[in-house]
Amino acid sequence: MNMLSLVTFAPLAGALIILCIPKEKEKAIQAVAFLFAGISLIASLAMLPGFSRGTHEMQFVERFAWIPSFGVQYFMGVDGLSYPLVLLTTFMSVIALVGSLGIEKRVKEYFFWFLVLEVGMLGVFCALDLILFYVFWELTLVPMYFLIGVWGGPRKEFAAIKFFLYTLTGSVFMLLAILALYFASTGPAHTFDMLELAKMTGGWDRHFQILVFLGLYFGMAIKVPAFPFHTWLPLAHVEAPTAISVILAAVLLKMGVYGLLRISYSLAPLGFQWFLPALIVIAVINIVYGALCAMAQTDMKKMVAYSSVNHMGYCLLGIAGMTTAGFTGAVFQMLTHGIITGALFLLVGVIYDRAHTRDISAFGGLAVKLPVYAALMSLTCFASLGLPGLAGFIGEFLCFLGAFQAWKLAATISVLGIIATAAFFLRMMQKVFLGKFNEKWADLPDMTARELISIVPLAALTVLFGVYPKWPLDLMNVTLTHMLGK
Amino acid sequence: MIEHAYLIPLIPLAASALMHFGAKEDPHSPAPWIGVVAMAICLGMSLSILSAVASGSVAVPYEHNWPWFSFAASIGGKSFIYDMPVGVLIDGPAAVLLVVVTLVSLMVQIYSIAYMHDDTRYMRYFGFVSFFTASMLGLVVSSNLLVGFMSWELMGLASYLLIGFWFEKDGPTEAQKKAFMTTKLGDSGLYVALLFLFAKVGSFQLTQIHHFYDKGYMPAAAAAAIAIGLLFGAMGKSAQFPLFIWLPDAMEGPTPGSALIHAATMVAAGIFLVSRTYFCFLAAPQVMHAAAWIGCATAFLAAAMALVSYDIKRVLAFSTVSQLGFMMCALGVGGYTAGLFHLTTHAFFKALLFLGAGSVIHSVHTNDLRLMGGLSKKMIVSFFTILAAIAAISGIPFTSGYYSKDMILANIWHSGDRPLFFIMLFTALMTAFYMSRLFILAFWGEARDHEKHHHAHESPFLMTGPLVLLAFLALTSGFMLDRHGLVYKLLPKPTISVMPGEVAREHAPPATLVSATMPAEGGEHAAAPSEAKAEEHAPAHEAAAEHGEHHEGHLPHALHLALPFLVLGSIGFAFFLYKGPDYAAAESLKATFAPVFTVLDRRWYLDDAFDLLVVFCDKVAALAFWIDANVVDRVFVDGWGLLMRIVSEISNLIDALFVDRTVDGFGGLSLDLGVGLRGLVKDGQVQEYLMYVAIAFSLAATLILTR
Repeated sequence: MNMLSLVTFAPLAGALIILCIPKEKEKAIQAVAFLFAGISLIASLAMLPGFSRGTHEMQFVERFAWIPSFGVQYFMGVDGLSYPLVLLTTFMSVIALVGSLGIEKRVKEYFFWFLVLEVGMLGVFCALDLILFYVFWELTLVPMYFLIGVWGGPRKEFAAIKFFLYTLTGSVFMLLAILALYFASTGPAHTFDMLELAKMTGGWDRHFQILVFLGLYFGMAIKVPAFPFHTWLPLAHVEAPTAISVILAAVLLKMGVYGLLRISYSLAPLGFQWFLPALIVIAVINIVYGALCAMAQTDMKKMVAYSSVNHMGYCLLGIAGMTTAGFTGAVFQMLTHGIITGALFLLVGVIYDRAHTRDISAFGGLAVKLPVYAALMSLTCFASLGLPGLAGFIGEFLCFLGAFQAWKLAATISVLGIIATAAFFLRMMQKVFLGKFNEKWADLPDMTARELISIVPLAALTVLFGVYPKWPLDLMNVTLTHMLGK
Repeated sequence: MIEHAYLIPLIPLAASALMHFGAKEDPHSPAPWIGVVAMAICLGMSLSILSAVASGSVAVPYEHNWPWFSFAASIGGKSFIYDMPVGVLIDGPAAVLLVVVTLVSLMVQIYSIAYMHDDTRYMRYFGFVSFFTASMLGLVVSSNLLVGFMSWELMGLASYLLIGFWFEKDGPTEAQKKAFMTTKLGDSGLYVALLFLFAKVGSFQLTQIHHFYDKGYMPAAAAAAIAIGLLFGAMGKSAQFPLFIWLPDAMEGPTPGSALIHAATMVAAGIFLVSRTYFCFLAAPQVMHAAAWIGCATAFLAAAMALVSYDIKRVLAFSTVSQLGFMMCALGVGGYTAGLFHLTTHAFFKALLFLGAGSVIHSVHTNDLRLMGGLSKKMIVSFFTILAAIAAISGIPFTSGYYSKDMILANIWHSGDRPLFFIMLFTALMTAFYMSRLFILAFWGEARDHEKHHHAHESPFLMTGPLVLLAFLALTSGFMLDRHGLVYKLLPKPTISVMPGEVAREHAPPATLVSATMPAEGGEHAAAPSEAKAEEHAPAHEAAAEHGEHHEGHLPHALHLALPFLVLGSIGFAFFLYKGPDYAAAESLKATFAPVFTVLDRRWYLDDAFDLLVVFCDKVAALAFWIDANVVDRVFVDGWGLLMRIVSEISNLIDALFVDRTVDGFGGLSLDLGVGLRGLVKDGQVQEYLMYVAIAFSLAATLILTR
């Protein structure tokens, strides 16, 4: 059975069905969205027993010609690098759907775009053909544009257009690089096949690889987002509706790091190595500067958005180390950042739905009134600031471990980012939850069942992966060792 | 019993979870007894382990590991799967610490049942205490530095929760943040040290790291860097200068919680970390020397602050900092046994002091020593137990502090650093002075505040019982441990047979280490003495060290005899200054040396410096954000717009015929952000998106064709 196609295109089927449902039947629309996102989740989990942890080869491969005249194939497969991200995507999509139940405006279109977005994200992680990859990559852009632009906050149009144009320009350079790779490919015919291309890198000269790397990097760096291309992120996050912020942070940013590892590293290795000194600087800036910017925020959501800049910096740091521990850390950090920051955005949404403000200083002493909310938020904040025993620590530590061997000074400076991260999260907790109770919020209710359903699984995973990271690590170990071992 | 040592941290952890999630909050709930019983079981296990270790019926160090998780790692370019274990490593110091921690925690919990009985978060408190103890025990037993670091950080979390227990008030919330941030600052050093260790050794296992050091594989520079990092971590947790600022504020938490922080957990953790990784310090003598001086500065500065404070808990907090300075100094001069000995005795008398102070505060409802006085008549048990603790901390002969402090001073004496010795000696006399001052102000003479005095009463048995037991230990533990050199047997100083750089690193790598862990680029430190010579050296070196330590444990005879008299003189001086209802002598002294008192009152301005640092960081953060919003965003977003226009213009020129219209549309798009698309967004029409798909594809086509 073509499991990957099922996982990837189940949401598309759902989207098409939603198109046929009259827009008044909101319950039916929601049910369909859940059903098909659920199918995708279950199918991706069903691959778990069959997924071999002992090989670096692509698994669940599907391949047939798509546009034979250009050598474009429909080529899908997963390995230890992409499979964890596929799981993350299907899982976070369902979580975000729970968080989307509060959407009241234009429900039909919302869920339609949401499912299309899921298709794009899953496709990016499964595609092994560059054109297929590119199509999926661009496919995420359009739904995201509408989801921010229609259902967002006060400055939604500006945020949406900024997101759209920024990422589109990046993609153009990426496409250029992809085409360059196509024409450089040797053999009986030109190919877009990533695995085939990876075998040919030895024959390409360094300058070519550097150019290709730079082209790819522009596309990826904007998604990561790596300094200085990160400024679309805080705006997009602040304006996007809660569930979309969750998806944006949990999955969309991961596409950039994934692309760096899957495409830039394997298809332009010399360019990648040439860029490492710059990448480590960018990583340090992302970490320290991102944390400092987060420290200056008064809006909770913007603070969390900047903390994403900081956390994705850890991924870059791990990658820049070019060691197995660093790559492992980067992949693990992608998973845990998805889970933890997803939870953070949901939690910020919870308080915004009630109080209609996200100003950190507008609250005070909420822990008395909302103990469950305060406990979950504290857990998530501590996970995000890298408290050992919670999931954030493992990824972060492995990233540092990987980077330290190659870049001792840079890794040491980056440790400052950890301190700054702790500073702004603690300050936020103090101002919102601790101190004298602000009587203005005397009738705020604690978490509802729906909110708990969306957040408790994330909190549980945060603890589980923190004390027992074996399962996700076992999925990726062999693949990553092979990536660096060759 | 030792094979079940892994249960010792897990039992209180389970008890904590049970108390947090198992029952509803109720001020009269019996649930806290879960924590007490759990801790009593742990104490029983720890005692049996200690007795087994002391009698020699089990071989130490005892180590057992279980697989935990694996990750791909690489050292020196070689990739391998590193299997991270989790396990226990019990040696003499760990066995002693287990007893100290469980005993103090048990006493604190029993005491707290009475002390906290009408608090609204009664059970939550006990959950925190159990969690706190569990994380400390985790650090003590762990065989793996990373697991130790996890426990270490969880302890930071626990102290955060406990210090800010009464979070409705601003004082505790500020204090908890300060404690977490200051210790986190120290932890960053430990973090880097861990990274460095793994990068060199390829393992987090203490025994393997020790082995690596023992063979002299660690280059001297790396050894120094690692020792600095470890020391920095210990300075944060164990409140060494200049990171001690968090500890005096930490008294905002419930007083029994302070007893736990000051005696058994948290501050003990830093000293224990240094002792656990002592071989890393032995390989870096200059860092050890720095540690000795840091300890000395800490001891002196904190004792000086304690001289002038009128807040009973604050005096005790300063005294803790000062005593921690003694321990660090001892470890720094090579007095491993003495440092840990003092950690043990200090745990008993400091827990007693805090619990006793809690009893006093509970009774008179104030922290201010000036409002106390004459309490000896009202609180007989508290009076006598605190007297015992004060005797111990001052170093009155044959109390526990007398033995351990004597040994520390002896070690410093034999290190040959005379300035260090005399500062520490003076600080020891200051200790006797400020503790006597506290005692006189609180218990001696007549009541100064009659109303408070009138309401004062002795505490219930659940509170006084622990006091009596701890008083017994404060008086006798020193003598018991010192007899027949038991302390040397339990707390033997670790050794490394080869100093870094003394031996060539081309030796065959030991079988216990991952073969990939040997740095390939070795040889630059090759002094290359033969292996036989190194082995010849080792036993002699060890024997000398052992002999030396016993010898170093004793001061020269005259000094040894004079010390008690100096202490008594210091106590007498305190009586002279603080006798009488309005301690006129002290007040006149204060008037004479007003500037000095101000400096001490302001705590050497270190807190102000810390506040300035916070303000500075906020300024930097604001600046960073300003740059982000006004420079980076402008340059790169507008820059993108410009770039897009250029791209579209070029495409336009080349393909004027082919995709003329659409590219024009694209170029125009970037000209006025938002305006063109606003209508589109409002309608959300799919067909209008199709136009953009067309743009994208035409652009792709352009690029393909222009190649």
